[in-house]
Amino acid sequence: MNWRKWNYAVHRDLGFLCIGLTLVYALSGIAVNHVNDWNPNYVIERVAASIKPLPPGLVDPLTIPQLLQQLGESGAHENTFQPDADNLWIYIDQRMIKVHLPSGQVQQELFKRRSFWYPLNFLHLNHPKKAWTWVADIYAAALFLLAVSGLLMVSKKTGLKRRGLVLTAAGVLLPLLFLQLYY
Amino acid sequence: MHKQLQIVVTSLFVLLLLASPVLAKSFGAGLSLDQTTSLTELLGNPDNYVDKQVQLKGLIVDVCEKRGCWLYITGDQPFEKIRVKVVDGQIVFPLEARGKQGTVEGVVEKFVLTREEVIKNRQHHAEERGESFDPATVTSGETVYQLRGTGAEINL
Repeated sequence: MNWRKWNYAVHRDLGFLCIGLTLVYALSGIAVNHVNDWNPNYVIERVAASIKPLPPGLVDPLTIPQLLQQLGESGAHENTFQPDADNLWIYIDQRMIKVHLPSGQVQQELFKRRSFWYPLNFLHLNHPKKAWTWVADIYAAALFLLAVSGLLMVSKKTGLKRRGLVLTAAGVLLPLLFLQLYY
Repeated sequence: MHKQLQIVVTSLFVLLLLASPVLAKSFGAGLSLDQTTSLTELLGNPDNYVDKQVQLKGLIVDVCEKRGCWLYITGDQPFEKIRVKVVDGQIVFPLEARGKQGTVEGVVEKFVLTREEVIKNRQHHAEERGESFDPATVTSGETVYQLRGTGAEINL
C-alpha cells in the first residue's frame, strides 16, 4: 500500500473514531460559549411565596419546622444559614429557600441538572480529570492527524492547487484575522 | 481487519459498562494540610493570613450557578462566611454542594475595592441570580478577603 492509501485509511478511520467525541465537544462548545445568556448545566426555577414576618435576629432552629409548615413543607430540612440578621437560608434536598425575615418574603430556588447538556459539559470541561484527560489529549492529537491527513488528500479537482488551497487559506486566515482584531 | 475493529468497539462498550458513575467528592488538588483553621480566627485577624495556605471546614451555603467557579463556606459563628474563588474551569463546584458540609483549601487574598468596584461586583452577582440591586445601597469601598481555592472535599 503506498502512502496515499495509508493516508486515506488513517483519515477515514480516525474520522469514524472521532465522530462521538466531536459531537460531544461541538455541542457542548456551543452550549458553554453562551454561558452569559443561559445556564448550560442547570435549570433553576425561582418561586416567590410569603410567610408571617419575623423579627430580625438569630432564628431559633426549633422554629424552622413551623416556618416551613407555612410553606406547605412537611419534610425535614438539611441545613440552615443566616447571612445576616434579616435573612435565613434553608436547604432541603435540591432546593434553597431564602426567607427575608422582616417582610416574610420567600424565594424558593429549585435546581435540576440538564440531563442532556450536563454530561456533555462535564466531559467537555474535563470535570472528571484522571483518565479522561488522556482521552481528551488523544482526541486532540487525532484531530491534528485528521487535519494533516486531510491536507495531504490531494485530488485533481480539490487539491491544494485549486479549491483546497483557497479553503485551507481561509481556515488559517480566519483565526489570524481575529487575533489581529482582538488580541 | 473487521474482526480487529469489532474487538476495539466491544472493548470500549465493556469499559463503558464497567465504569461506575463518578460523582467526584474531591475537587482540584484535594486536601494537603493537616490542620484546619477556624474562620472566626481568620476573619478576626485576616491580615495575618494573607498569602498563606489555609484549610477551612464548614457548611457550603452558596455556589456559582453558571460556572461553579466560587462557593461560600461558613464558620462557627453566626453570619460568618467567606468566598472561595477558583480559576474558571480548573475546578467546577456543583450546585448540589449547597447546604452540604465541606472542607476547602486555598490561599487567603486581600482586595481593597473602591465603591465603583463593589457596585460592579454586586451588580454582576445580582444579574446572575436574576435579583434586583440598588447601587445606592453601597456607600463606600470595601476590603474583601477571600480564598483562592486550590482543592476541596465536599460531602455530596
